[in-house]
Amino acid sequence: MPSTRPTRKATGTKAAPAPSKKVAPAQAPAKKAVVAPKSKKRTVEEARDESDDEFGEVAIDMASDDDEEDMDGDDESDDAEDFPEEGEEGQDMSAADLEEDEDEDSEGSYMDGDSIVDSQEELDDEDDEESDFDDLVEDDIDPNFGHNLNEPLAPESDYNPIVREYPEIDPVYDSDSSTEENDNTVGDIPMHWYDDYPHIGYDIDGKKIMRPATGDELDKFLSTMDDPDSWLSAHNYKEGQDVKLSAEELEIIRRLEGNRIPDADYNPYEDQVEFFSSKTEIMPLSAAPEPKRRFIPSKHEAKRIMKIVRAIREGRIVPRKSGYVPPKPKYYNLWNDAEDKPREEHVMHITAPKMKLPTHDESYNPPAEYLPTEEEIKEWNEMDKEDRPKNYLPQKYNALRNVPGYGQFIQERFERCLDLYLAPRVRKNRLNIDPESLIPKLPSPRDLQPFPTRLAIEFLGHEGRVRSISVDPTGLWMASGSDDKTVRIWEISTGRCMATYHLDELVTSVVWGPNKEVAVLAVACGYKVGLILPEKLFSPELTLHSEEYLKAGFANVATGEPNPKAQWKQPTPAEFEKGIRVWVHLQKPVKQVTWHRKGDYFSTVAPDANNSAVLIHQLTKHQTQQPFKKNKGAVQRVMFHPTKPMFFVATQRYVRQYNLQRQELVKTMQTGVKWISSLDVHPAGDNLIIGSYDKRLCWFDLDLSSKPYKTLRYHQQAIRSVAYHKRYPLFASCADDGNVQIFHGMVYNDLLQNPLIVPVKILKNVHQRVDALGALCVEWHPTQPWLISSGADHTIKLFS
Amino acid sequence: MGKLHKKGKAGAAINYITRNQALKKLQVTLADFRRLCILKGIYPREPKNKKKANKGSTAPSTFYYAKDIQYLMHEPILGKFREYKTFAKKMAKVMSKGQYSTAKTLAENKPIYTLDHIIKERYPSFTDALRDLDDALCMIFLFATMPKTEKIKSETIENCQRLAAEFQHYILHTRSLRKTFLSIKGIYYQAEIKGQTVTWLVPYQFSQDVPTDVDFRVMLTFLEFHQTLCGFVNYRLYSDVNLVYPPTLDLKLDEGGAGMNALIIESTQSSANIAKTVNQPIISSVAASLSKEEKQRLQESEKRLKSLSSKIAHIQETEDSNNSTAENDQDADSAMDEFPAPLPNLDGTAAGTVTFTDIQKASQHLTHFQSLFSNCVIFLSREVPRYSLEFILRALGAQVGWDAVLGEGSPFDENDDRITHQVSDRPTQGHRFLSRQYVQPQWAYDCINAGKILIGDGYFVGKTLPPHLSPFVEAKEGDYVPDVNQFEGQTEDLAIESGDEDEEDEEEDEDEEEDEEDADEDEDEDAEHKDLHQIELEAEAKGVAFTEFEAKENKKKTRATKAAAVAAPASSAPATRSAGKKRTAAEAEAEEAKELAKIMMTNKQQKLYTKIQYGKNKKAAEVEKLTQKKEQLAKTAKGSANKKAKK
Repeated sequence: MPSTRPTRKATGTKAAPAPSKKVAPAQAPAKKAVVAPKSKKRTVEEARDESDDEFGEVAIDMASDDDEEDMDGDDESDDAEDFPEEGEEGQDMSAADLEEDEDEDSEGSYMDGDSIVDSQEELDDEDDEESDFDDLVEDDIDPNFGHNLNEPLAPESDYNPIVREYPEIDPVYDSDSSTEENDNTVGDIPMHWYDDYPHIGYDIDGKKIMRPATGDELDKFLSTMDDPDSWLSAHNYKEGQDVKLSAEELEIIRRLEGNRIPDADYNPYEDQVEFFSSKTEIMPLSAAPEPKRRFIPSKHEAKRIMKIVRAIREGRIVPRKSGYVPPKPKYYNLWNDAEDKPREEHVMHITAPKMKLPTHDESYNPPAEYLPTEEEIKEWNEMDKEDRPKNYLPQKYNALRNVPGYGQFIQERFERCLDLYLAPRVRKNRLNIDPESLIPKLPSPRDLQPFPTRLAIEFLGHEGRVRSISVDPTGLWMASGSDDKTVRIWEISTGRCMATYHLDELVTSVVWGPNKEVAVLAVACGYKVGLILPEKLFSPELTLHSEEYLKAGFANVATGEPNPKAQWKQPTPAEFEKGIRVWVHLQKPVKQVTWHRKGDYFSTVAPDANNSAVLIHQLTKHQTQQPFKKNKGAVQRVMFHPTKPMFFVATQRYVRQYNLQRQELVKTMQTGVKWISSLDVHPAGDNLIIGSYDKRLCWFDLDLSSKPYKTLRYHQQAIRSVAYHKRYPLFASCADDGNVQIFHGMVYNDLLQNPLIVPVKILKNVHQRVDALGALCVEWHPTQPWLISSGADHTIKLFS
Repeated sequence: MGKLHKKGKAGAAINYITRNQALKKLQVTLADFRRLCILKGIYPREPKNKKKANKGSTAPSTFYYAKDIQYLMHEPILGKFREYKTFAKKMAKVMSKGQYSTAKTLAENKPIYTLDHIIKERYPSFTDALRDLDDALCMIFLFATMPKTEKIKSETIENCQRLAAEFQHYILHTRSLRKTFLSIKGIYYQAEIKGQTVTWLVPYQFSQDVPTDVDFRVMLTFLEFHQTLCGFVNYRLYSDVNLVYPPTLDLKLDEGGAGMNALIIESTQSSANIAKTVNQPIISSVAASLSKEEKQRLQESEKRLKSLSSKIAHIQETEDSNNSTAENDQDADSAMDEFPAPLPNLDGTAAGTVTFTDIQKASQHLTHFQSLFSNCVIFLSREVPRYSLEFILRALGAQVGWDAVLGEGSPFDENDDRITHQVSDRPTQGHRFLSRQYVQPQWAYDCINAGKILIGDGYFVGKTLPPHLSPFVEAKEGDYVPDVNQFEGQTEDLAIESGDEDEEDEEEDEDEEEDEEDADEDEDEDAEHKDLHQIELEAEAKGVAFTEFEAKENKKKTRATKAAAVAAPASSAPATRSAGKKRTAAEAEAEEAKELAKIMMTNKQQKLYTKIQYGKNKKAAEVEKLTQKKEQLAKTAKGSANKKAKK
């Protein structure tokens, strides 16, 4: 008895399976053990107790806490009897049978002494008993169990005579876990290692555990079909057979699936055992004396408190006032009239512009004319929001009650807000000038009369564009050259065509000789220039004089060498009959002929002939000179100075003034236009005008500057011709738009006074536009303020 | 040799700073910077030369005036923004840790900023503040009608309502309303306060649907500033006319929908009496979140109000009587000041100086206008907008009562005998009182704009109303004037006098113009006796062109004949002008002369001229379009009338 006590005390520590000398005659087959765990426990206890006595081994009981005392008593008494009995019993007898027997035996013996607690257990055991017996019967029949198990052992023992037979170890577990019953000790290894062997492992005693017989798949299937509980069974590889799961096992599985602790009885929240608590234990764990800090005030805390106290004293921390503190008045008098001065205007400060005040059309009931038409509404709707001149459409409501809320109100206010803080502000100075003040004050045209104002005579007869016109120095006759290859001579006063000369080329230029003593008309026609003496128009004396004048040259020609650039030739008799007296043949087509004031020299322009574009011919000597070795640019027009030995050459963009006597360049006028079309020199010789194809008319004051004194741009199309009046302060220009513009251009003798230019009349649509050409040439009457213009519509018109 | 100047050291290069530079300099986020800009009134600039301002780069950027940003550096609010940021961080930290007591102390010390100094800084004088009040008022009146949303707190709305009501009360009290206009966007009001015209727009009172494309953070920042501005302005306005600010709010009336009448306006003297009995100001908010304590307080205040109501009524009566006596005094003053002018109606405008009589006249006119409705007792039917009509009518001295549907606090009901006008807006008027005129709401607005009480016949209930014109349009020369004689001859006896005066004035104006011209040619007339040739010579010596001389002579002759024939009626001149639509020869000639003269313009002048002409032509085209439309409409109307007649 005393020996058992200490072993009982050490509960909870697992006992290693101790080796036993005893040859285990009764093995505990797993199957039996499962069925009767309680009874088995007892046997284990017995065995242990017995061993205690014999070998001094320590056996541990894990389950039986409650019935310690009683059990002990019983055990002791039983052990003595049972064990030898056991040994005596044959090997055929299974351990279970033994146990049962034991129980039965013991029952009788300790029934009276057993505690009440066990009585229930006992009852259960009784129930089990019967069934166990049934099993037993089956087992006996079953060839592969118990009996068979031991049989092969016999030769083994023979083979190894030293093998110690250890007594069968009973783990004494009270648990119902099946693991204990599984005696296969191979461990956690892949079971297929044993596939080739008849056994599947070894039991705790080192004996082979034979592979239980299993049927083929069909049997398996049939058995699963027969057995209604087959779905409750699981295959145990270690045992090599299906094991039916008990209700407890199923419960465990269920709990595991539910993520709960498998043991239903386990309480994870056990009360804590307070080892250190406020209670003074009689036997404390630590007997150290109470530290000093437990009863002395903290220095550190005192420091911190002093810090706060000091702060409060110094007023750094203001303790919260108790009670209700009335809030400060939100608004008060911010402005003081006496001191405040209104914000000064600063250059860099730009005040935000105020919102625009509403106009009539924003009214809910505007006058009907403000309402938009359907097209206007459509246009407004199609416009981008930013492009709309106003952000609303005028609408009319008959009564105030019909007026709805304005949908864009918040958006518009928001936009205003954005404008106020996001829009860059600029100071923009509005020009507040009367536009009329920009128009220069000019003398009234009426004060500048006379100038031509109305159409007086129309000269009809040409059948092509009239390229050029010229009035003879006496002012009685006018010659015109046209694209219909004719030159006509008209009587100005009546408009009668006096003579017609048919030529073989387009007539580009006709000019009367300026000398009143000689009646000669120079005509540029293709590659040649002809000099015509119109008979019958002039007095016989004049005609005769002219005839001789024109003839004089031929005598001279014979002596000199013929100039290849200009060949002076006699006309054919037929031509002579017509009135043509001299031909000058040139290398390239002639565009312009112009006379020197004395009527002896005349100059021709043939722009295509590079160096010899400009030639000066002397009528009396039939000589031709080439004044420029080289031309800078394509020559457009040339002009003799009216009084001095000067010569003007207009190229595309410049006008050059040459001194013929000194043979040098005097001046280059920079016109600033793209392409000069025409040129005329003022009769006084100090001013000149040019017209250009880019619609500009430039007035140059030769004494003033090389840049134009005035550039006027008023024609809608290219200017074709400009002309000064010989006597009156008038000049005119005509252009492809068919208009003729007349200016008053007064040049003063006083050098300090700039020329006065006043537009006095616009003659609109004088000539119809034909093939983008309008008025082609203007010419003034030499003595009267009459203007003659010719155009592409085959007409010549005289304005007076 | 002059000093060498380094590039980028002066002028635009240092005057302007881009936005990003500003952000870097101030070390604030863009959102904070924008808030600062709104509050401080800082706006971007457009430098004359962007390239110079942007250190040679032409990349698009926003420029600010460098000094503006410099001043922002030591702006107290900037510090407050930063403090708030740290506060928010601390709070978030504490809350996430669940240290609620610390959070409470933190919340108690939450950094708060005020905008007082900014108001003073931006508007150094009260006049400056008044000048910039337009936007503030528009904003406040808008938010007073806004619904509560996530972003717009109910306190804000309530404060706006209060500020708006206070301002309206001031206008009522001082009778400073001048113009009103019913537009499709809302109702415009214009008041004159201390010589400054203040215009604001109030939306029609429908529930505003809050748009999603509007950034309310911007709006609310503006509103924050505008509320402060308005509060200070209101305080100043009230204290200038000896009223207590803030006026107390009668909760009962407010709940009853009395609108602006819920505010009790007291003068400072009477409030002194009240102060004896009531120590605490009774300011309470209705829509505030009602904790228990607050509810208690509210109840208390209500109780006090009830006990006070009799007192207040008494005070108000006395006040009214005071006011009326004051008005009488004023009238008496003006009557006393009036003394006969030495020269009858010497017009000041012609002389170019403002005479005493002018001032007197203007002030008389003003007092007359301010008491425009003083003899009217007007009742508002239930379908008219009381919020506007009550305001404008009372602002010009009317006694206004309204249907109970429109809210509590009407001084009289529909059956009152004193009522002279009833404003109703319905297709037909069923029961009519013979003693009163029934008019549509537009009548009131037109009366104010016309400055006289119009005969209500044209505005009778159910009638087609005459067009409502904007009073803000000042017709310049060449503008389209829709219907000049709209109010002609429609005035009641009351106003006829003033109308006559106006007409007289006009006539005088015309006379004077003629006088001026006459004065110009006095010398010419003297010279008429001289020999014509002599005159011509003299003119030539002076440099007068012959044609001008001739024209002058002709003019003289025609005038002489005219004068001899009839003293032509003043209106004849414009009539003749309009009648002779065909161009006369002289006109054509003048036009041609102009065209010729245009040729001689320089290029620069020509461009400028065409530019000006473009604008002018556009305007003229618009006017032309309107007149054509009107003619067309008149034609169709005439046609339809004829058809009817035939039938």
